[in-house]
Amino acid sequence: MTADPLSATTRPAPGPAAPLLAVEDLHVEITGRDRTVHALDGVSLDLAPGEALGIVGESGCGKTMTALSVLGLLPKGGRITGGRILFQDGSGRPADLAAAPEPALRDVRGNTIGMVFQDPLTSLNPTVTIGAQVAEPLLLHRETTRRDAWAKAEETLRLVGMPQPAERMRNYPHQLSGGMRQRVAIAMALVCEPRLLIADEPTTALDVTTQHQILELIDDLRARLGMAMILVTHDLGVIAKRVDRVAVMYGGRIAERAGVRGLFAAPRHRYTEALFAALPERAAAERTTLATIPGLPPALVTRPVGCRFAPRCAHATARCRTEEPALAGEAGHAYACFHPAGAEPVAAAEPAAAVDSVPDDRPTDPGILLDLDNVTKRYALHAGPFARRRGAREVGAVAGVSLTVTRGETFGIVGESGCGKSTLGRLVVGLEPPTDGTIRFAGRDIGALSRRELRAHRRDVQLMFQDSYASMDPRMRVGTILREPLVIQGIGDRAAQLRRVGALLDDVGLPRGAAERYPHEFSGGQRQRLGLARALALSPSLVVADEPVSALDVSVQAQILNLMRDLQREKGLTYLFISHDLAVVRHLADTVGVMYLGRLVETGPAREVFERPLHPYTRGLLDTVNAPDPTAPAAGTPLTGETPSAAAPPSGCRFRTRCPAARARCAESEPAPTEPAGPGHRVACHFPLVASPGPVSSG
Amino acid sequence: MIRFLVKRVAQAVVVLLLVSVIVFVLLHLLPGGPARAILGVKATPESIAHFNHQQGYDRSLPQQYVMYLGRLLTGDLGESYKLNQSVTSLLAERLPKTALLAGLSIALAAVLAVPLGVLQAVRRGKAADYLLTGAAFLAYATPVFFLGLVLILVFSQQLQIFPAEAPQADTVGGLLADAPALVLPVVTTALGIIAAFSRYMRSAVLDNLEEDYVRTARAKGQSSARVMARHVLRNALIPLATLLGLYLPTLFSGTLVVESMFNYPGMGLLFWNAAQGSDFPVLLGVTLVVGVATVLGSLITDIAYAVLDPRIRSVS
Repeated sequence: MTADPLSATTRPAPGPAAPLLAVEDLHVEITGRDRTVHALDGVSLDLAPGEALGIVGESGCGKTMTALSVLGLLPKGGRITGGRILFQDGSGRPADLAAAPEPALRDVRGNTIGMVFQDPLTSLNPTVTIGAQVAEPLLLHRETTRRDAWAKAEETLRLVGMPQPAERMRNYPHQLSGGMRQRVAIAMALVCEPRLLIADEPTTALDVTTQHQILELIDDLRARLGMAMILVTHDLGVIAKRVDRVAVMYGGRIAERAGVRGLFAAPRHRYTEALFAALPERAAAERTTLATIPGLPPALVTRPVGCRFAPRCAHATARCRTEEPALAGEAGHAYACFHPAGAEPVAAAEPAAAVDSVPDDRPTDPGILLDLDNVTKRYALHAGPFARRRGAREVGAVAGVSLTVTRGETFGIVGESGCGKSTLGRLVVGLEPPTDGTIRFAGRDIGALSRRELRAHRRDVQLMFQDSYASMDPRMRVGTILREPLVIQGIGDRAAQLRRVGALLDDVGLPRGAAERYPHEFSGGQRQRLGLARALALSPSLVVADEPVSALDVSVQAQILNLMRDLQREKGLTYLFISHDLAVVRHLADTVGVMYLGRLVETGPAREVFERPLHPYTRGLLDTVNAPDPTAPAAGTPLTGETPSAAAPPSGCRFRTRCPAARARCAESEPAPTEPAGPGHRVACHFPLVASPGPVSSG
Repeated sequence: MIRFLVKRVAQAVVVLLLVSVIVFVLLHLLPGGPARAILGVKATPESIAHFNHQQGYDRSLPQQYVMYLGRLLTGDLGESYKLNQSVTSLLAERLPKTALLAGLSIALAAVLAVPLGVLQAVRRGKAADYLLTGAAFLAYATPVFFLGLVLILVFSQQLQIFPAEAPQADTVGGLLADAPALVLPVVTTALGIIAAFSRYMRSAVLDNLEEDYVRTARAKGQSSARVMARHVLRNALIPLATLLGLYLPTLFSGTLVVESMFNYPGMGLLFWNAAQGSDFPVLLGVTLVVGVATVLGSLITDIAYAVLDPRIRSVS
């Protein structure tokens, strides 16, 4: 089944008994400046020819190190200290890549094993043409002429769905979009028709729709070329439908290994179980507390005693803390746990806080806090002193957005990158003035505020960032960072400010001693807590949270989402929650606005919008999301194509170029917002999906 | 690419005009005015007025500037007070020689610094890296005049390999004909540049080795040497291009010490002598040339950028 129809060099595959890749008891250490991390501690895996294996886990669990070990590409200071990596390259006996010398590894890399990395924006060389980069592995591994390599590279680009491949060959990476660059990266990995493709978070840096297209492409190519695949990801949604088997990693070891359906239906290891429970998609209902995993993964500097998950596990017993469980279990479903799930009645023991519904005790008469009327923001495409006079082209980042946010609610804004959601956040906070339209906060037009009033207004609206680390001065102590807003606004004396800092740290669940430490001493989740504390320092009524949990692992994400919700209830906060993650928004938001290319295409109560979307774009987005469920029915109409440039948006409805239901009228006139399905649920579409809650029909 | 070049050249012309304005203003800030400078402190008011009228110094400043610009365009930079020669002909005589010294030094620096920087990056933290780093800091920290003296002492006095005086020929060809005499001035000028460039090259290569695209290239099966040659080198040269443009003008004025030390008949020596004799037209002429060199330096940087980095090409 691995016999490759296109390749002349590979021989017929060995019998079904021989695995393509067998990792046996692999140990990897990474020696840094002052410490050694035991990144992998006895990892065993195997992969049959043509099979797809998913490796999942949170950051630092060792999933990427496993992938990199196979190709001998461990980072500086990293080395394999034990175990074997047997790879059947088709030439006879399997070779042990763990012990192979560098030249032998070079023969394998890009040749019989191809690799795709996470970030397509940085993994291509910016100064070398696409063609030269795709042809490079061929010139290395095949006896071929430059011309033949070029032709084959072009053919491979066509294979990965690159439009106008001949033209693209002469382009440089910066001339392509992120999705297209990832196609190039895949083409580079596939040009020598490898027997195994290793994809390390191949879609993490991409938008939902692009993500879907790339995953479909990999699926399709795998079927066509009959190659095996290792898909490394933190995203359970990504692997649910793309792999045959899954290995869950934790703390440098395999926690659980099973067929994908078996694992998702009945996880046995308590870590896997807790991971699933922390998914916002799996939350029992909207506006409930998410199950979290307390604490942090082990640092692996010292080899932990006992089960590595025991310190965070709700089911851990004395035995778990002293004895290390071995990977065992039924055929095809192995797990390293003394107290596996499903062995006893589980209902009694949900990890951490049980999933209980939170009573909705927000004020009954909220009133409008924020009111945007036809807000527009345009940026000049070319900067410089004469740009404006020459009538330079402009980009409409936000194009006529109107919405109202009531006091105490969470208004979620979703959309793909470049849809204008972050710009909208910046406008609301007052970091930039809108080009047109009015923003009213608590009844006052913030565009008409004086400098002094604007400063006072900033107390009321605060921003929480995606990357809290980058937004904090690395040379300031946390206490100083949290006190700074109070100092700027001249609130209280020094003693009062220090008391406030202490109270803030209490609020976000950090020890008071944190005030004396520097930002780099905290983990991602803790930094996000600090970001929230900083935003709350001035007791604002509105917090604009721009992708606050996008950089976090699932278990930590759940902690932050719960914290945000708790603080909202306690302090009567209003959130403008900006995210590309539909599941997170669905979980947290009361009201949702969907943005596309600067326009708000649909707004309404979260449940309404997600269950009965009226705009084809919303429908498409929902169909495109990778649900963490291998048994979910095939999606209706996933979105295709790419978002057009905001500098030259399509005429009429901006979504029409990608809309399955577009007709002539959509190109002629811009749809005005209507409420065809009842009050409160607005949509800007000529042909809203009123009748059919299911897939888009042409009605 | 063409549009980019046209735009950059047009910008350079604007900057050059500004340079001419500054030099013109400096001309008028001369103590006691040019008349006093030429005719001496004992000149009578009548002779000063006569001189000023003759030279057009009694007209309005804008008028004078236009006249100055007109003269500038025809290559007339005035007469040297001391040398009885036009500034233009002095510069025409000396400029190529300084350009030769600067060019040879930069070329030597680039040829040595790039491989040295790469070597240090590849051997990071090893003996070779520390040794070269130490040598670079030593060369960088040593004042040029001291470096020159040491070189003269060792290679001219002790070993007697190279002469201590630069060749005194009138033409560039003549200078090149006496190559051994050029060695010490060129090496003295180049050592500091080699030190600076190799440090920059080292850090640029190290930065690029950390980049994801290097890992991608290795995942294709490229060897470390070819990853360096095919992928890293070009990207690492981009910051060096900036440095090159910045060094050009410094070289034109900075060879002053080297030229006077080795009695090299270049612009630095001319400037030095003019400064000693209050020969203002010559001083301003040299200033103008350095200004032009500055503008050209940044133009060259921009062009080198565009050649090396496709992203810059398409932005403009």
